[in-house]
Amino acid sequence: MTHPPRPPADASDSRSAYWFLRGMLASLQVPGLVLIVTFVGFGGLLHDLGFPVGAGILSTVLVWALPAQVILIGGLAAGSSLPALALAVCLSGVRLLPMVVSLMPLMRGPRPSLWRELVCAHFVAVTLWVEGFRLLPKVDVAGRPAFAVGLGLGLSLLSAFGTAIGFFLSHMLPGPLAVALLLLTPISFTILLVRNARHTVDWLAIGFGTAIIPLAADAPGGLDLFWAGVGGGTLAFLIDRYRPGRAS
Amino acid sequence: MSGLNEWTAALIVIFVGFLPNEVWRVLGVLFGRRIDEDSLGMRWVKAVATALLAAVVARLVLVPSGALVALPLWLRAGAVAGGIVGFLAVRRSVLAGVLAAEAILVVGAWWLGVA
Repeated sequence: MTHPPRPPADASDSRSAYWFLRGMLASLQVPGLVLIVTFVGFGGLLHDLGFPVGAGILSTVLVWALPAQVILIGGLAAGSSLPALALAVCLSGVRLLPMVVSLMPLMRGPRPSLWRELVCAHFVAVTLWVEGFRLLPKVDVAGRPAFAVGLGLGLSLLSAFGTAIGFFLSHMLPGPLAVALLLLTPISFTILLVRNARHTVDWLAIGFGTAIIPLAADAPGGLDLFWAGVGGGTLAFLIDRYRPGRAS
Repeated sequence: MSGLNEWTAALIVIFVGFLPNEVWRVLGVLFGRRIDEDSLGMRWVKAVATALLAAVVARLVLVPSGALVALPLWLRAGAVAGGIVGFLAVRRSVLAGVLAAEAILVVGAWWLGVA
């Protein structure tokens, strides 16, 4: 990527449009293709659980965080109460905060603007976070907010497209391939968990979350995710903090 | 979930999905530089988020509510375990893990003649 000379002030709008398009184009790379496949799995899950496809696609664009979307749709299918689901969705989103904080200096551009930062932050999720660190340093500082929004919107649209494909594909696939579609979401989350687990507390949380779900599956009020998530996570946190031989 | 129409579902997506999740992005913009990521509170919330994600996976695999029910538990759990082994064995490649899990599941389903 070449660095063109700084444009005159009256050309800044067209420069923004240029970087926005560059961002959208940059979404058409391997990470964007992986996202399509992941959201094809989510589309299959929507169909399997009987969730309306339009609202499912809306969740991809608005929520833009697959774990939260699966908690929401899976929880509705399991009969969880809406307040319990809102709490579970909220707790699952905490990982977005450090991502926003660490990527924002690269997305912000030369003139701080709260609205621009909120729009940029909306698109932050794992893929944009990784791609942002890779691509944004090569972009003109003035063009970075437009590039980030273009990249995020491009990734969102690809994922919305994948969601729709998955929903309609699951009508047509033969049995073994239809179940393969349904395994895409849990297996990609599992690998994500294993890849991100660095400390003892992470492994404890994975173990407790997994072990509590079968026990809590019939919990009254559809609170199984609450007990497995909040209960299991708290247990992992406390055991890690007070276990003997802990370094700090 | 039968009887959920598009408009009701869209409202649920906005109020139970979008808003509770978006809170963290907004907080990141507003207070990002003042939040200590290593504080006890943040460490607890992260542990809860990890357990929650593991619970989501476990519910999809161990107590599924859709078409995966047709497959025996050992095949569903075996496919996920095979995926982890594939991921760790082939240079921590996500693709290798996903392909290993899917291969076990599809071959198993075909072998058993179910699904």
